[in-house]
Amino acid sequence: MTNALMEKLSSAEILTAEDRQLLEGLSTVAQRVPAGQDLIVEGEKPRHTRLFLSGYGCRYKGLASGERSITSLLLPGDFCDLNGFVLGYMDHTIATISECDVAEIPPEAMTALMADSPRVVRALWWATLVDDAIWREWLLNMGRRPADQQLAHLFCETLARLRASGTVRGQDFPFPLTQEQLADVIGVSTVHVNRILQRLRGEELVALEGRRVIIPDPPRLAEFCGFDGAYLHLSQDGFWGRRGFWEKEPVS
Amino acid sequence: MPRYYFDTDDGRRKSHDDQGLEYAHEAEARDAAIRALPDMAKDALPGADRETFSVSVRDDGGRYVLHASLVLVAHRLEGFEQ
Repeated sequence: MTNALMEKLSSAEILTAEDRQLLEGLSTVAQRVPAGQDLIVEGEKPRHTRLFLSGYGCRYKGLASGERSITSLLLPGDFCDLNGFVLGYMDHTIATISECDVAEIPPEAMTALMADSPRVVRALWWATLVDDAIWREWLLNMGRRPADQQLAHLFCETLARLRASGTVRGQDFPFPLTQEQLADVIGVSTVHVNRILQRLRGEELVALEGRRVIIPDPPRLAEFCGFDGAYLHLSQDGFWGRRGFWEKEPVS
Repeated sequence: MPRYYFDTDDGRRKSHDDQGLEYAHEAEARDAAIRALPDMAKDALPGADRETFSVSVRDDGGRYVLHASLVLVAHRLEGFEQ
């Protein structure tokens, strides 16, 4: 069940068989959570650390006016409240977008895991640093890229992340976000998202089938939006991010 | 909830909405259409000295129920004294 996490962490650090066993032991208590549910709300104190095993989740923050911003997507292999484990209470809300399998890890197990293996600590630190790198890229996106490139960039990034966790192998992937949710991700109006999606489809940069996104020509889409996945740190030299995020196997 | 369709034009590209979005009232669809205008302008400007951005909203029956536009006008001045 922790395959997505292990696959992802294998980019960061060579985990020993023993480390893998420690990580495998983590997700023994997994819950299936329906779509559109808050898992933990801003201000609450987390009792567990949660790990996404399948499905799409998000972090979001809201305003008194009811408007909100989705500040990150949570994909299989992502921890969602490592920060709460250290910081004490949540400064944002975590919710499911699609139906998700979520493992709940008690704090004692996290403490024991970190005490048992410095390599696992380093790998979790890596994952946290990569989350920061994704935020930096989203800030650049929101501040400086036009919305059509922002959306294209989000599709490239999501494909790269899903491939890194072994969740997806090809060039198409499930994408359960509504246009309203996409607007909350990229910070533009819903009608503008609707318009941009028409354009990306019209130019055959992406195809949408039900709740799936298909990227017919990933290098072309990457060039359109200036996607350079080196910030995902999926290989030490950055090559995989720049050139090969759509290739069958990561180039290390 | 009723579905509304948003056809847009930023002077470079027209887009015909075949997906639509759901809003409880026509007033909400109106606000949504107007909110799209500055987003469209932000992505396209600076362009020519005269630019028009527009949204036309259709209802479920295919009738146009709203048109909203935003116009930019820029022109050189001939160095008038203040």
